[in-house]
Amino acid sequence: MMPESSTIRTAAREAASQIAGRPIKEGQRLVTSGLIDSLSVLKLIGLLERKLRITIPPETLQPEDFDDVDLIVETVERVAKPHA
Amino acid sequence: MVQAELRGDMPGVTTNAEFCERLRRRLLAQPEKTLLRVTVAPDFERPIEFTAKALLDRAEELASSFGITKERSVVLVLLPHSPELFLLQLGLVLKGHIPAILAWPTSRVDPEKYKCNLVHQLNHLPADLLITLPRLAENLAGSLPYPACGMSLANGASFEKIFPAAPVSERLGNRKSPKRNGCPNPDALFLQFSGGTTGAQKAVVVTAGMLAHQLKQLGEVLQLSDADVVVSWLPLYHDMGLIACYWLPLWHGAASVQIAANDWVINPELLLKYAARYKATFCWLPNFSFSYLSQRGEQMQKHSLGSVRAWINCSEPVRCKSVAEFATTFAGRGVKKESLQASYAMAETVFAITQSEPGRELASVPRSCVSHENRACGELAFDLIDDVYVSSGKPLPDTEIKIIAVDGSKCPDFAPGEIHVRTPSLFSGYWGAEGFQTHSLNGGWHATGDFGFIAEGELFVIGRFKDIVIVGGNNIFPEDVEAVVNSVAGIHAGRVVAFGVEDQEFGTQGLAVVAEMKGEFNEDAALQLETTIRKLVLTVIGTAARYVSVVPQRWIVKSTAGKISRRETRERFLRDRFSPG
Repeated sequence: MMPESSTIRTAAREAASQIAGRPIKEGQRLVTSGLIDSLSVLKLIGLLERKLRITIPPETLQPEDFDDVDLIVETVERVAKPHA
Repeated sequence: MVQAELRGDMPGVTTNAEFCERLRRRLLAQPEKTLLRVTVAPDFERPIEFTAKALLDRAEELASSFGITKERSVVLVLLPHSPELFLLQLGLVLKGHIPAILAWPTSRVDPEKYKCNLVHQLNHLPADLLITLPRLAENLAGSLPYPACGMSLANGASFEKIFPAAPVSERLGNRKSPKRNGCPNPDALFLQFSGGTTGAQKAVVVTAGMLAHQLKQLGEVLQLSDADVVVSWLPLYHDMGLIACYWLPLWHGAASVQIAANDWVINPELLLKYAARYKATFCWLPNFSFSYLSQRGEQMQKHSLGSVRAWINCSEPVRCKSVAEFATTFAGRGVKKESLQASYAMAETVFAITQSEPGRELASVPRSCVSHENRACGELAFDLIDDVYVSSGKPLPDTEIKIIAVDGSKCPDFAPGEIHVRTPSLFSGYWGAEGFQTHSLNGGWHATGDFGFIAEGELFVIGRFKDIVIVGGNNIFPEDVEAVVNSVAGIHAGRVVAFGVEDQEFGTQGLAVVAEMKGEFNEDAALQLETTIRKLVLTVIGTAARYVSVVPQRWIVKSTAGKISRRETRERFLRDRFSPG
């Protein structure tokens, strides 16, 4: 079962903060601001998958889909699949 | 005759005309063979395909369409991954021009800042023409000392979104045009940028003789034939993408499958999917890719990878952990340990200097077996901290390597020092702001700036004297990053240091910047400055900084001679950031 939006949001904020090495605020740009690099986006995806027990299929995704907490939540809800 | 050439029975190529003639003959030996496949998002199921004949015809047709009248024109090509980019590189060479491929920006850059920086860079390059997307060409027109020609791509619209329809705001007016020191070199075939992003760009001049020699020697060592298939996600502005994954298969009549780097990064499975679908036999990857693919391996479909004869680790120091992870993760999908290979390469020698032996497991040497006496560790900008060093293979035929100690003496086996190389593929000079500049060599030897040792005829690369940061196989010059950050208002100009920080997870480096704040230190202002620096570095350098630290005055460490010490500043940064407590 897919986690609820609020759970995804909390996990997204935690994961982004962990990757960026500082607390991330709502609306704060991660990728386009240069706060996290391409490889860190991949780490962010891995972290979200582990925290939420989901798989994020990468087809059609771009680093910009993870540019802030809102976008991460939206992206996860749009494409992620729960672990069986 | 083609077979005789492939066996190496034919005399060497020396002129462009000979090179082009032989290439045409080789390609037309199997005119209907599909030689090039280029994937174009979003339709990854159907790559654009070219037979050998279509590739030649389309490439020459496209290069001719620009009506370049001046012979031996230097043509800068700034285009995203597309079939046209591959066609242009080939077509311009066949038409006797000298292409130079510039790195396409990521979609995350600030367009206005990017364009201003681009104008600054391009004004320092003595070219005859720039070919780029129409909107960017229009925006740049009038700001360059040579024409900018627009070229529409089937998939161009998504890339043009990066650039709003507005001219460059920073007109450079009467800025002095760069010197045109004639043609880069009478035999120049194309130019390969070797780094530099802030006006200091310089390119290695690749001649027909250098390229033909490299392609012949590397092909022989790899036993490459027209039955082989190369699969690649590496961009053409990188020597590994351009030489190993495009020119090498072309020259040997082998097929290649080309994926965009951006598409691969977000969807690494694409590489394995195409390797399985087209029964790829060779795949070159920087070290971090081995770790990255391994980490994502569990989630990927079980593609059959048994056709791949060599997964070649190159462009970053080869790390035992990355190679072992890859072998373990993909063992069940047909990846054999003996297919994991390595190479040491650089643009200055066209590409490969060494190559491991296909079909044989990579040799390794425990760190404890290496003599660390007189190694001048303190001089190193980068030092591999692994317990086991992995071989990059033996020198190619006709290529010599020697290891030189700090005192100038030649090192014995297992004693590390600076790697020096001598090969017929070695460059003779750079092309840059001052035109063609001959590079002086000592008895034909090139000091690489890399640190390593030889053991039983094999080269082990374990560090660097030069301060290059390698992020995912891309070379970043700290001086470029420092120049960019020096321009930020509020930062103490001249008090900025950039360096690499190890990324153990991916087996690569992250970029770090430490900059001193002007005047009295203030936390809020430091945070603001950090944000500005991050955005600027991403826009101008094209890679995001993993760490940015704005610090009070006198934080950056100086040497006793009063010069900023990158190494000691890096050590202080690592202590402050990563030490427990």
